Amino acid sequence: MTLVKETPVRPAGKRSAAPAAGRRGRRRENLAGYLFMSPWIAGFLLLTAGPMIASLYYAFTSYNLFTPPQWVGLDNFTTMFQDPRWQKSVEVTLKYVVVATPLKLLLALGVALLLAQKRRGQGLYRAAFYMPSLIGASVSVGFVWRALFSDDAIVDRGQKVFGLDVGGWIGNPDYVIYALVALSIWQFGAPMVIFLAGLKQVPRELYEAAEVDGAGPLRRFWNITLPMISPVLFFNVLLESIHAFQVFGSAYVVSDTRCGPADATLVYTCYLYQKGFKEAQMGFASAMAWTLVVAVALVTAVLFWSQKKWVHYEEAAK
Amino acid sequence: MGTSRNVERRTILKAAGASAATLGLAATTGCGGGSGSGDGTVTLRYAWWGGEPRTIAIKKTIALFEKKYPKIKIKPEFTDYEAFWEKFQTQASGGNPPDVFQNAVGFLRKYDKRGVLMDLKSQADAGNLSLDDFRNGVLANGQVDGKQIGIPVGANTMALVIDLKAFKKAGVEAKFGWTWDEYFDALQTIQDKLKIAGDTGYFSIMYLYDLYLRQNGKAFFTDTDLGFTEDDLTQWWEDGYKRVRSGLVADPKKVEQVKPKSALSAGLAASEFTWDNFSIRYEGEGESDYGLAPIPTTDGKQTGQYLGSLMLSAFSGTKHPKEVAQFIDFMVHDPEVGKIMGYDRGILATTEQYDAFTPTDANNKGVKAYEEEVAKADVLGKITPHPSGADVIEAAFLRIGGEVAQGKTKPADAAKALFSEAKAAFAG
Amino acid sequence: MTSATSTPVVHSAGGRRRAGSIAWHVGALVVLAVVLYPVVWVIGASFKPSKDIIASLDLLPTKPVWANFSGLADGISGISISSFFWNSLMYAVLAVVGVVLSSSLTAYAFAKIRFAGRNLLFTLMIGTLLLPYHVLLIPQYVLFRNLELTDTLVPLVAGKFLAVEAFFVFLMVQFMRGLPRELDEAARLDGCGHFRTYWSIVLPLSRPAIITSAIFTFINAWNDFMGPLIYLNTPEKYTVSLGLMMFRDQEGISNYGSMIAMSLVALVPVIAFFMAFQRYLIDGMATSGLK
Repeated sequence: MTLVKETPVRPAGKRSAAPAAGRRGRRRENLAGYLFMSPWIAGFLLLTAGPMIASLYYAFTSYNLFTPPQWVGLDNFTTMFQDPRWQKSVEVTLKYVVVATPLKLLLALGVALLLAQKRRGQGLYRAAFYMPSLIGASVSVGFVWRALFSDDAIVDRGQKVFGLDVGGWIGNPDYVIYALVALSIWQFGAPMVIFLAGLKQVPRELYEAAEVDGAGPLRRFWNITLPMISPVLFFNVLLESIHAFQVFGSAYVVSDTRCGPADATLVYTCYLYQKGFKEAQMGFASAMAWTLVVAVALVTAVLFWSQKKWVHYEEAAK
Repeated sequence: MGTSRNVERRTILKAAGASAATLGLAATTGCGGGSGSGDGTVTLRYAWWGGEPRTIAIKKTIALFEKKYPKIKIKPEFTDYEAFWEKFQTQASGGNPPDVFQNAVGFLRKYDKRGVLMDLKSQADAGNLSLDDFRNGVLANGQVDGKQIGIPVGANTMALVIDLKAFKKAGVEAKFGWTWDEYFDALQTIQDKLKIAGDTGYFSIMYLYDLYLRQNGKAFFTDTDLGFTEDDLTQWWEDGYKRVRSGLVADPKKVEQVKPKSALSAGLAASEFTWDNFSIRYEGEGESDYGLAPIPTTDGKQTGQYLGSLMLSAFSGTKHPKEVAQFIDFMVHDPEVGKIMGYDRGILATTEQYDAFTPTDANNKGVKAYEEEVAKADVLGKITPHPSGADVIEAAFLRIGGEVAQGKTKPADAAKALFSEAKAAFAG
Repeated sequence: MTSATSTPVVHSAGGRRRAGSIAWHVGALVVLAVVLYPVVWVIGASFKPSKDIIASLDLLPTKPVWANFSGLADGISGISISSFFWNSLMYAVLAVVGVVLSSSLTAYAFAKIRFAGRNLLFTLMIGTLLLPYHVLLIPQYVLFRNLELTDTLVPLVAGKFLAVEAFFVFLMVQFMRGLPRELDEAARLDGCGHFRTYWSIVLPLSRPAIITSAIFTFINAWNDFMGPLIYLNTPEKYTVSLGLMMFRDQEGISNYGSMIAMSLVALVPVIAFFMAFQRYLIDGMATSGLK
């Protein structure tokens, strides 16, 4: 029962003493590994790898879903890079990722730190803060967001207090993206919960020891909390970035399905969706999808590379 | 940690078995559409888009049909317009579209080109489906290259919906044969007197530009291409943008933020162009009274109008072409069906159904009166072609027109963009 | 649990503690107000007449009406509302079972078993996170159509039973990696096989991650629109998210009132599920398992 509390914090590169060393042990480990993995492997081959290869092939074809795909080489990619709407969708998406992700994570972490303290009503707050994430990108979110960010609604009245007179954001191509950002931030529940779970895992003894050493709250946060929750922080940064790149539902409902006005909320997947499912240009859509895959893979690679510098795992193996 | 290993294994096996059983169970309930069964009963999948009133009415007509043809069962599939065409595209591309479905002019050639639509002429020749008694030549709306790939259920036409109270208050009147100049003058009066815009954004509506082109001896589409030049469109959008800036056309930012409500029913403007059978929405959404008014003309006579249609089409690969034909025949000719459906999908297309239904509510009466007036004014022309890709171009026209309105794209660039997107759409 | 002594961070004199407490509550209330404003608006809107909902700016209805909710009792287009809820529930429950089983098994292998090719597979698994959902949709649709499984729940839940959603595998891997290695190594040295280690030690300890996954899966399945849209054809099999769309009518009068009312009612099961499990959600390791 007390095992957990005595866990050393940093395994510091300690190698695992693998049970039953030797070739037979290794073979058994391999077998066990693949047995445990078998559902994933089946799913990967059937539902991911197969379709992936198909779509990769489509990316180099002209394919309207009805007649067999025709090889066109790099045509889709060259058309795409010159396509003003594609360029617009990249611009919109980057703006969204860069603005929304850090703000959302900052808020999630801040609130998680607040809620990690034992206070009266804490559970209630937690549940209430999670509420927006439960609603997701449902039609009612579309209604309420369009209403909140219209002329003379609460946001407009609020901004007028600060001397900003731009009117409603929803109909304004220059501002509507920030309504989307606001929606993303409003739904900070998921990363908050993950942060909270991470915070709970931090052994109290560490804080107590630090306090004895006379460390203030800021230093405790910097030296204990942050390193200890770095795996979940990494997880949140990674997942929220990827999700932001792939955002679709909220742009769809906030713009009343059109990703407008004037393409101002034409996030990448929305354009992909229009091309693929409205215009049946599956070749083009697949090329778009794979370009997104490569872009997000680059971002992920950078994050994974950087984690060596700031993420601490209990597990030493790797 | 003291629990027995066997128990655990049993539990997990049970869980796995349960989930497998669920999967298996679901698998056995698989789709039965389009198949026949031992006793000669045939099941047809019938799909349409539309709101609740349409669905309830159609379900009643299906019940009538099944009573008359006990060996044919109809499996209804319905959803809203957007979802319908996405679903249809995926199903059709997978060789699994419904046997019978609601269709529109803009989609005929697209799905004909893809081999999805059945030529119903052979079924008509076999006596399973009558092509007689269609009113005003609307049967032609379902013909492409000599094939009958759609059977019209109704007829509709573009119209101008006006806010009756606003028009009255401003002291302006809409009349047959009025010109665009007279129309815009009227809007100017409304703007001056009532401080609201005149129109909600006419220049983004493809089917209205089509009418304007038809008034001038052109049309939006030819058989394979656009029927106008980049300069034509640049001019059209330049005029439009000018009217946005002068306030004659409602502020696009405001129009955008009241969506999905129409800017007309939101009181932002006094008129809007749309299909006459859609006009019921304004009563439902807005506070004022609304009526149908004539389309402005170029020469004081020709409105460029024609009758469009919603239709029923059949899947070329259906296993039961005869039953499909019988079903369509019943749906377009049976007087009882006409009585039930009313003008929901436009004025009833066949004389049997048209005669069977007498509108009682104001909206249906208005639609009937409007189409009668249009017919009397002798302005109805023949429908011009809608090549494959017309649906995509309609959406692009609306979107790019919106960019022009917002001042985000110059009319000349916008026209160029539309031509480039149209090229891709025709090729698709 | 609420006693001051168990407070991990705040250990100071009474006055400072009270000031801290007030500051805490003020902060929490400010966040609460911002978070709940839109929720209250939606609730308020569900009592407005259908005509007034679009572009209405008021938080609360001037004269509340019940029509939006009472209209739901009649169903939509001849289909009872409860049928949509039942379909969504089936989908969500199956999805939760599938994800929890398959993802935890896979995660255990990644986190706790050293087998040849693990790193490669892990990279592949992370790689699948990057794929936009849309790119797989059509090939997957063709696959399920060829298997004659469209218009059933199978295409919607098959992926859940096969750990296709890397998010949850990754989440559990991250948690299992955070578990003290000494625990399962001790078990392994005691002669427990992997399955037993997984079932009796790692799984209970991973409860926070599992419950988190369950909640997310439930919500995602419940709110899923694209999957049901593509795969389900029979209106009687529609889920709530598809049913909601039936209130829309691009050519006539949309019933936004009932739409918003139903989307509110649709929140009830999600909130109930969340409330039922949220107290386990963030329970740290120290309080979960090992009892």
